[in-house]
Amino acid sequence: MHSIIKIGTILAVTSMVACKGGNGSLGIGVTPSPTLNTVALTVDSGPMSATGAINHAYVTVKVCAPGKTQCANIDHVLLDTGSVGLRLVRSVLTAGAVTLSAQMDAQGRAIEECLSLVGGQTWGPVALADVTLAGEVAAKLPVQIMDDTAVGAPPPATCGANGTLINAVSGFDANGVLGVGVFAQDCGSACVSPAAPLPIYYGCTTAGVCTAENAVLAVQVANPVAMFTADNNGIVVNLPNLQNANGDATVQGELIFGIATQTDNALPATGLTVLGTDASGDFTATYNGGTAALPALIDSGTDAYAFNDPTIPVCPAATSGIFGGYYCPTVAPQSVFAVNTGVGANNASNRVDFAIADPHTFVATAAAFTGLAGGGGSTRFTWGMPFFYGRKVYVGIEQRVAGTYTGPYFAY
Amino acid sequence: MLQNRRMIFRSVKRALLLLTVGISPLWVGSAHAALGGDSASVLADGAELHGVVNSVISQQYDIQEITADTGMRVREYVNRDGVVFAVSWAGPAPPDLQRLLGAHYMEYTTALAALRHPGLQRSVRVASPELIVESGGHLRAYAGRAFLPALVPAGVSAADLL
Repeated sequence: MHSIIKIGTILAVTSMVACKGGNGSLGIGVTPSPTLNTVALTVDSGPMSATGAINHAYVTVKVCAPGKTQCANIDHVLLDTGSVGLRLVRSVLTAGAVTLSAQMDAQGRAIEECLSLVGGQTWGPVALADVTLAGEVAAKLPVQIMDDTAVGAPPPATCGANGTLINAVSGFDANGVLGVGVFAQDCGSACVSPAAPLPIYYGCTTAGVCTAENAVLAVQVANPVAMFTADNNGIVVNLPNLQNANGDATVQGELIFGIATQTDNALPATGLTVLGTDASGDFTATYNGGTAALPALIDSGTDAYAFNDPTIPVCPAATSGIFGGYYCPTVAPQSVFAVNTGVGANNASNRVDFAIADPHTFVATAAAFTGLAGGGGSTRFTWGMPFFYGRKVYVGIEQRVAGTYTGPYFAY
Repeated sequence: MLQNRRMIFRSVKRALLLLTVGISPLWVGSAHAALGGDSASVLADGAELHGVVNSVISQQYDIQEITADTGMRVREYVNRDGVVFAVSWAGPAPPDLQRLLGAHYMEYTTALAALRHPGLQRSVRVASPELIVESGGHLRAYAGRAFLPALVPAGVSAADLL
């Protein structure tokens, strides 16, 4: 909130300068203002066609066919610091009257992608789009179209078999996913050169026959922020603390582009924990004094703190409704902690204490909950959305420099 | 992890192992269904992944480990009855779970479909008396395992199956 007010001030100052010149439009031209680098970030119950979302943070993204005026503002695109690339549901693009064409490989086949989200896969073509967020533009950005209407080639047998395909708005409670993680491309070098291509990128004939193939970095679905002409070294996610322990209906925050590029995304002089990641994008976390260094992520795409603690009871599906499977502590709130440690040069170590709430206390109409946890059986540690409330979280892109730090890293 | 146990480690190319065990490649080509299947299915999975199969033998079970130049790694755990009772995986893409879980794949996908938010998750757990599947990760780093509790040799804990 603080920074939103700051932006308001900057804009006010700009217009005051403009007024001094005696002519608004001329004045703005004379005094170049920094690129508007902030969009509203909203936690609410989701898009009209799929409400009931919990701990989902959304932005509105302007998508245009490359070089065209054919554009749509797509609301309720899920902010995901745990993935890379913009993925849009095809029926939403169609409703917005935006038609994007698939990129073609050297053999003239349409390039399509199967992305595994653990709980299922997305499938659809990789197309180019001009993408605008605030004043920042990523021109000819490779994005994935999630083919919920099945107008493109059908997925190969290994992608989305037996009902695990997730392409629709209802699968995400979102019209798309804005992946702004620590990498510039989604797959990277692993999809560029292996003799046997990974089952991620495919070339599809017009007859709909798809074969796994390698994809050079320039073709791969890319982090929009990395493709901006400015403020392209990372992001800052700024969300306030929640007002109510039993849930808030909406939360208003901001997504800021760039790190240490403007006054609104400056790095704090003290108190910052910078956690470098490995080649997979993970730092490590040890949970509650344990010895296992678990691969860890700060992930706005996950709705809860997600980790394995077999000592905490799991909410029974029969009596817990939508919270079946999450943790239901015997005595809530239950205090636990984890120690994060960075990898490589940014090897800070930092203990984070947090409390697990009993989801039965949550108000049914709310969309934002702190203290939501789950993830039994996981061999990972995921700082999901509850971690973001009341913090500024920085996500630094690989090989990009901000102040004295070089990505990839998460910081807070 | 492997070094902690007392095991004999031998590394053989897939072709060599085929020769040793005396299975014709044609027959291997038609084998499938790793979990709950026999060790021959491991070799078929090795071929599918374009990988190299290594064998690790311990007292209660054997591990057949398939590694590929893509960075994919699959381990299949074979009990003394010759049945694959567990599989695990790690790599930049998830493996073909339909193939690895075999006859148990339907049970897995049905349980997945019943989860409230199948969308963005970095870890899922499906557990029934017959089958446990734990899968996690994100692009560039997927890992998981699946096992059949009834077929796990006595004294072997789930923590050993990584």
